[in-house]
Amino acid sequence: MSNNLRFRARELSKDLTVMFYLQKTVPAGERDLILDQIRRSPLVGTVHTISPEEASAKFAEDFPDLKAILLNLNANPFPASIEVSLKDPGLPTASVLQFIAEVKKNSAVEDVQFNREWADKIRSLGRLAEAVGLFLGGILVLASFFIISNVIKLNVLARKNEIEILRLVGATNTFIRIPFLFEGVLMGVAGSAISLLVVLILIKLFPLYLGSSLGALQEIVGFRYLTLAQALGLVLGGGSVGLLGGLTSLARFLRI
Amino acid sequence: MIELYHVWKQYQKPHWALSDVTLSVRKGEFCFVTGPSGSGKTTLLKTIFREVLPTEGQIIIGGKNILRIPDSKIYTVRRPMGIVFQDFRLLFHKRVFDNVSIALRVLGTPPRDMKRKTFIALRMVNLHPKIWDYPSQLSYGEQQRVAIARAIVNNPRILLADEPTGNLDPDLAHEIFSLFREINKQGTTVIICTHDKELIRRFGGRVLHLQEGKLHGKDIG
Ligand SMILES: Nc1ncnc2c1ncn2[C@@H]1O[C@H](COP(=O)(O)OP(=O)(O)OP(=O)(O)O)[C@@H](O)[C@H]1O
Ligand SMILES: [Mg+2]
Repeated sequence: MSNNLRFRARELSKDLTVMFYLQKTVPAGERDLILDQIRRSPLVGTVHTISPEEASAKFAEDFPDLKAILLNLNANPFPASIEVSLKDPGLPTASVLQFIAEVKKNSAVEDVQFNREWADKIRSLGRLAEAVGLFLGGILVLASFFIISNVIKLNVLARKNEIEILRLVGATNTFIRIPFLFEGVLMGVAGSAISLLVVLILIKLFPLYLGSSLGALQEIVGFRYLTLAQALGLVLGGGSVGLLGGLTSLARFLRI
Repeated sequence: MIELYHVWKQYQKPHWALSDVTLSVRKGEFCFVTGPSGSGKTTLLKTIFREVLPTEGQIIIGGKNILRIPDSKIYTVRRPMGIVFQDFRLLFHKRVFDNVSIALRVLGTPPRDMKRKTFIALRMVNLHPKIWDYPSQLSYGEQQRVAIARAIVNNPRILLADEPTGNLDPDLAHEIFSLFREINKQGTTVIICTHDKELIRRFGGRVLHLQEGKLHGKDIG
């Protein structure tokens, strides 16, 4: 989950563009002045002016259903705007914000819009998800650690007789311990493999379940499965947790 | 081979299970330990097997002081020994085969050897037809013979047997003693605890008599 969001945030900020909406009645001279100011900034990549006519045409194209409404209006409701895409695809920095503020000082600029907020929101959501994930993951690791060490404790107690006889006939401590440790590792690996499978199924089913109600959100929440390395890491981690659980349990209950 | 120096053992005050036992058993010897119930026979065997640590004294086996060997290395003391416990110590949820072969399994014996040796040991105690039975399906005497088979299966250099014929009829007891004699002839040092004076007389050998933890040695034959 946190994986997903981090990825999205990066995607969004990649095409960080700033839209400056100009007042309806701006003389061409003043508009050129603003354009000049923008072009002079070292932060700016490409600059694209959109006239009210273009905006209206694009709207009609994007939302053909609403075209009628547009036609019914006598005047073109769209302001002229300047689309600026920034050179640095990274997240907005202080200098970018300063640049925007300066352009905004022009009385001809009515409004500024850029998707920084989106990026920020998603990023913080990602961080939240990461924290929640870490927290839940920690609890799960602890829980499986205790479950495994308890199961092994029970096994040790159940096989007390056998352990005693193994010792009497000359088994090394390692020989006695290995089956229990193996059991722990197996439990850890099996547990993480099963949870991996469940996650996979959930990810496959979740979008289906939510279906079209997700709409555009689907794009953002679009599910990416764990990478192979992450899956392997999970299984290995499960194995190590099992091994640790086994070791601690043996240290406490198999005094040999 | 086996030397005990001033070995004392006290489980609970004020009673001494062994008091000042000094004893030396040579390699390849065949000896009996006798004495009334509670005189310390089992305790003596257990100290040699390092199952029980003496309160005082030293025990040297094959030139090594076994009391100096750390717990994690106990197997080095026990591997050259076979022991028949008075209470058998069998695993009741495992078959006769597994009960006997466990002594080979811990040595990492290959499965084929394990099967062959286990079968031979069981045939020696005349129990090979019951190889796939569970101990609970066996009589006391048969269980005892499983314990004997487990003790001899890996050709131990020292064989300790705690009343190994306690539940056997005289004929079978004689057979088992003959088996121990046979094993002894191949060089194994054998120490047997027994009450059976008749068999001692018939087989002869060194007799160690315990009385309230004190050793009174006498040799017969
Ligand atoms: N685990 C123990 N805890 C406390 N006392 C013990 C323990 N084992 C043996 N004893 C005591 O030590 C003494 C010697 O016991 P041991 O078992 O060596 O006798 P034994 O000669 O083998 O007797 P038996 O012929 O009945 O088998 C007994 O008085 C017994 O009560
Ligand atoms: Mg006894």
